[in-house]
Amino acid sequence: MNRKFAAAAAVSIAATLSLAACSGGASTAPSATSDNKPVTISVSGWSLTTTPEFQVLADGFHKQHPNVTVQVKDYDAANYATLLTADLAAGTAPDVVAIKQVTDMVTFASGGQLVDVSDVKLSDGIKGASSYKLDGKQYAIPYRLDGNVLFYNKDLFKAAGVPDPDGTWTWDDYTAAAEKLKTGLKSAGSSALPAYLHTWNSQVQSFATAQTPKADMLSGNYAYMKPYYEQALKMQDEGLQLPFATASANKTTYQAEFGKQQAAMELMGSWYVATLLAQQKSGDADKFQWGMAPVPQRTSATAGTDKKPVTFGDPTGFAINVKTDGAKLTAAKEFLSYVESEKAAESLAQIGISPALVTDAVTKTFFGQQGIPTDSLSKFAWGSQKIAPQNPPSPKTPIASTALTAMHSAIMTGSTSLDKAISDAGAQFKNQAG
Amino acid sequence: MTAIATDVDTSPTPPLPRRRSRLRRRNSLIGWSFILPNFLGFALLTLIPVVTLFYLGFTNWNIFGTANWTGLANFQRLLGDTTFHTAVLNTFYYAVLHIPLTFVVSLGLALLLNTKLRGVAFFRTAAFFPYITSIVAIAVVWNLLFSPQYGPINQLLHFVGIANPPTWLQSTTWALPATVIVSTWRDMGYYMVLFLAGLQTVPRELHEAARVDGASVWQRFWNVTMPCLRPTTFFVTVMLTINSFKVFDLILVMTNGGPGNATLVLSQFIYQTAFVQNQFGYASAASIVLFLICIVVTIIQFLINKRRSA
Repeated sequence: MNRKFAAAAAVSIAATLSLAACSGGASTAPSATSDNKPVTISVSGWSLTTTPEFQVLADGFHKQHPNVTVQVKDYDAANYATLLTADLAAGTAPDVVAIKQVTDMVTFASGGQLVDVSDVKLSDGIKGASSYKLDGKQYAIPYRLDGNVLFYNKDLFKAAGVPDPDGTWTWDDYTAAAEKLKTGLKSAGSSALPAYLHTWNSQVQSFATAQTPKADMLSGNYAYMKPYYEQALKMQDEGLQLPFATASANKTTYQAEFGKQQAAMELMGSWYVATLLAQQKSGDADKFQWGMAPVPQRTSATAGTDKKPVTFGDPTGFAINVKTDGAKLTAAKEFLSYVESEKAAESLAQIGISPALVTDAVTKTFFGQQGIPTDSLSKFAWGSQKIAPQNPPSPKTPIASTALTAMHSAIMTGSTSLDKAISDAGAQFKNQAG
Repeated sequence: MTAIATDVDTSPTPPLPRRRSRLRRRNSLIGWSFILPNFLGFALLTLIPVVTLFYLGFTNWNIFGTANWTGLANFQRLLGDTTFHTAVLNTFYYAVLHIPLTFVVSLGLALLLNTKLRGVAFFRTAAFFPYITSIVAIAVVWNLLFSPQYGPINQLLHFVGIANPPTWLQSTTWALPATVIVSTWRDMGYYMVLFLAGLQTVPRELHEAARVDGASVWQRFWNVTMPCLRPTTFFVTVMLTINSFKVFDLILVMTNGGPGNATLVLSQFIYQTAFVQNQFGYASAASIVLFLICIVVTIIQFLINKRRSA
């Protein structure tokens, strides 16, 4: 009788404890001896053959913690969020999950799938961590942060006789330079266009949100984007960049447009640096002199190498699966602590990834790559801009995103007037977000 | 004698029915074993998820955690959702354009190719080829054809004298008709094959008799071919209608609902709500609405057909 009662009590206590573990966040006490026993943790990644960063981080961590083996699990890049969602719901997801988009973190954390990692100490000066905060808790740690920079073709600028960007440009300066480039390139006999604007809605909208004070993507009021759209439409109408309709229909790629010298200027994320260097080496892109400059600013108050230019970008990070516990949880937290450290940042900079932590040593390593422009403006543009979050961590962000994507194509194809499209998008957001 | 007389028994349970029921059971088992593999796959991958969907439409499930019953809240939300209204209108607009156009084109092709000339097999294959081509390839190529500045279609229109041709897939007014054109081009081969099969059942003697009586080609078509084709026509119309309401893959790869929301159809609204915005309960409710639309229209078609054949 006593034995039966004790057994029943033990089973019920164990059940209650495991239920508490399932509720997300609170987990069983991790073992403190992870440095002795061999542990294996699994980490999710995508397109491992073309994205070496996951293996680089796994190898670097293993060197620091020889008893921990890191297995990287490959996922398809295009459907990463859906595949990982299915695995998380089925309970077969890896211990550490890579967060490809900020909205993924919001979905997983709201669904109780991520461990609260507020106790992982962040290095001083790391950027992008605020994008992974939900309800005051930190749910992921960033390891890379790609801000948008202005890529420009030095050879085409020289041929057109237009002075290179000097880091003090506002949007009006940018348009003026494009106009000078148009006449200059024509007289030089080049068929290149002054600029290329990629079809993503972020290429107009996220600049507006980042650079306009008190702009809120989740307010439903998008009138603050109007001047940015007027600038983009002006460049389109004057023939300074490929029209959105043509770029959309022909599915032009930003790599080909700049890499094959079809455009002298291109606004793009810093992830393009690694691709451009690789393509110039392999011959997929032309070999020409190029550089990076800060993106055009709203006013001259933030424009200049002695000021803090504002751009936008989102981090990429890692989070921990709520089903991870014990020695694996300790190892996973140590892995998160490693990816945001300076050592990891240097190893990422070596392969052309823009880490979330930028120090002098990291900058030196990044600009030590073969073929990369080493002028001071490129270094300033890459490392010293203020990178405002592109997607706020909120469940309403995908709803705003859907409305804004529709608004972008309606405006840029000229199908709907600017004011009507802006008010339609606001109405759609408020209607669906409640 | 009496013994023999009593041997001829009048009891109602001779061994014969037992043998018959065993035979019937054996036949049923054989029948079941034929359809079970396919039915098992259908049940696991289609039937059970669809039945679950009817339950999820009344909950607020967001894939993680439990599905809380919310009653008709999702449907009330659909009533007030302007994007949903746009999607329903676009779907009906697409169906109204697509169904008659595809029907006429595929019937015309079938009549043209219903000959025994040498080489007709090549033309039949050519007409069917778009249906088996990769949908992504179709989307990329037709996007290039419809390209406003450099596309061949607009260059041809310029050549014929039209100064301002529409911007097709980049215009909110012309995007949906353009996708209808591509969709018809893609589907005509499939329905042509169905019509060809139906045309083989039209008795040759009826045509001969009509010709002898002096009927013209059109009179022969309308009074002999069409009535004999009625089962095929009915099948094609039902399939066309259902597939038009469910259109998804072509629109997703060609325009992704754009520009603006001009080509946003119901299936795409469901996909967006479920996989982009992670609201599976709400998307299930929209799926139930799509199901009801399809089934109501199909029932109407069945009733019309029954009355016509009576």
